[in-house]
Amino acid sequence: MSTDFKALWNNEGSRLPDIQEIFAKANKLNRNIRRKLWRENVVLPLTAIFIIWIWWYYQPQMITTKIGIVMIVIAIIAFLIATNQLCPLLTDGNAETDSRQFLTQMIKIRQKQDFISSTMTRVYFTLLSTGLALYMIEYALMGGMVFRITYYTLTFAWIAFCWFYWLPRKVKKRKKANNEVIARLEELNGQLGKE
Amino acid sequence: MNMVFEEIYRDYWNKVFRICMGYVNDHDWARDIAQDTFIAIWKQLPNFRNEAAIGTWIFRIASNNCLRQIERNNKMPRAEMPEQIEYKADPDKESQTQFLYKCIAELPETDRIIISLELENVKQAEIASIVGLSETNVRVKVFRIKEKLTKKFEKYEH
Repeated sequence: MSTDFKALWNNEGSRLPDIQEIFAKANKLNRNIRRKLWRENVVLPLTAIFIIWIWWYYQPQMITTKIGIVMIVIAIIAFLIATNQLCPLLTDGNAETDSRQFLTQMIKIRQKQDFISSTMTRVYFTLLSTGLALYMIEYALMGGMVFRITYYTLTFAWIAFCWFYWLPRKVKKRKKANNEVIARLEELNGQLGKE
Repeated sequence: MNMVFEEIYRDYWNKVFRICMGYVNDHDWARDIAQDTFIAIWKQLPNFRNEAAIGTWIFRIASNNCLRQIERNNKMPRAEMPEQIEYKADPDKESQTQFLYKCIAELPETDRIIISLELENVKQAEIASIVGLSETNVRVKVFRIKEKLTKKFEKYEH
């Protein structure tokens, strides 16, 4: 006796959730996206503007301070460009294409994400910490010897901690997770075979 | 727009839910994916023009949302028996239904989508355009998957 799969299939179902649940969930998602955009696209440029304002207001004398400011601003701009390029891809990820194209697109997004998390994080961090160290030279020189030594010891200890411990761990962890997803996506794409 | 969406929502909820259920075989998870699918439909609906192919469009979004689950959870739980079945049939049919969904969720991911669409009465030409395969390829795959399912059911029933 052959089984009627279609009849069995149609046996399954789920209570239709109140349509308001869908709208509430959509609003929550929108709020989260807005919050993320606000955090990155408003707070970071404001920081950059504040730093530029310091330059204009306090008129630093040393070239290191100016180079430091420029480096911090470049770090912020580079970070914003990289994340903003990725953001629309992640949120929309054109779900209306066929599965084959969708999977290819997802693989590309993941590879881009991998580049951003490894390379761009390092670039951002290098520019930011070097910029900060240069920027503070002028102000550190205003203090006494004990202050200078303490200040630079702490600054370099923090940079070393981030560079040698925190950053490699974070990059490695993200890379591992990302590579796993890429491998799974490629496996799925492989299931569809070559057309 | 609200009216159109509400109509789509009523007409397609169970169809989309079943496809998601075939993919994950977990009621709560399937409801979640189905809800995400309708959020995407709600967002994209104002840009959608080709009313004739609305079903294909909806199933594409649903299928891709299923595939996207890889990103959310690397280790997909393999075919747990669902805790609750909301549409109660007779006990025998109910366990057979559960078994069918269990078997489908154990198939390779893209096969789960193909067979779910087939069981949802989607034309094979449409399935081809949803997954990005040729119609012939879909036909072959559907045939093989059904064969596999039939074998599993034969073992199950004896």
